[in-house]
Amino acid sequence: MSQSLSPECTPLKQAYDSCFNSWFEGYLEPAIAASTSAETRAAYSKKKADEFQAKCGKVWEEYKACVQKAVKEKGLDKLLQQAREENPLVEPIPPLPVNPTKK
Amino acid sequence: MHFFSQTFNYDHPWAHVVIGMWHKYPNSKCTHVVSIDTIDRTVDPVTGIIRTERVMGCKQKAPLWIVKLFGGSEDAFVREISFVDPATQNVTITSVNLSLSQFATCNELIRYSPASPTHTLFSQTAEIQARMALWRSAADGLEKWLVQRFEQNAHLGKLGFTDVLRNLWEERHRAPSPS
Repeated sequence: MSQSLSPECTPLKQAYDSCFNSWFEGYLEPAIAASTSAETRAAYSKKKADEFQAKCGKVWEEYKACVQKAVKEKGLDKLLQQAREENPLVEPIPPLPVNPTKK
Repeated sequence: MHFFSQTFNYDHPWAHVVIGMWHKYPNSKCTHVVSIDTIDRTVDPVTGIIRTERVMGCKQKAPLWIVKLFGGSEDAFVREISFVDPATQNVTITSVNLSLSQFATCNELIRYSPASPTHTLFSQTAEIQARMALWRSAADGLEKWLVQRFEQNAHLGKLGFTDVLRNLWEERHRAPSPS
């Protein structure tokens, strides 16, 4: 498993990544199946978002505190702030238009 | 501005590729990526879209002149934003360099979408752009500095040679060499 930018955060990072990956692997394929209607999708999304928070919320808070400190110490906080101002990227990027002539 | 793009298919279903993308590093073929940190993540309780913001640390052996000129170090950091949308089976990953970003930006966009039930289309585009306004002001500053240094050195050169000439000829006038 990959390292954190700060060695002291690596154990928390790896615990968080494991938690996310295990949640995500259970999430993804049923999420595709639940996307047949907006209602089933919203019901499934809400349930799984709550589950993610319940499973990984605690380790996330610990890891986040550690990594935020490390980001600041490396002077990356200002660069991140600048990048966020230039391109917040809070809205998903739409899929490419489907070209009917292409398979 | 320079552009780069490529597309190809992975012989795996979309869901397998998207699960796999969280396991891409560490990777013995991509040893330049030395750290990955998630700094923000949300799971939208209505759309099911997962947004993840990460910081990747890279060790790149930059040419020495770049390190000297731009004061860069071996550590370079990248901001990466990904969206995983299970409903449209679309993943987008946007990356931009944080390090040296005052001089140039490299914006990359990767997409993973199903090509068939068993294949996934990968597409990657990148735009590399130097910040010309800053380059111009830096070049302008460099020229001004060079002119000042030149003027100073020219002035000192004149003073220095004046001393040499005075000392040389004063000495010779005082003590004419015996003929």
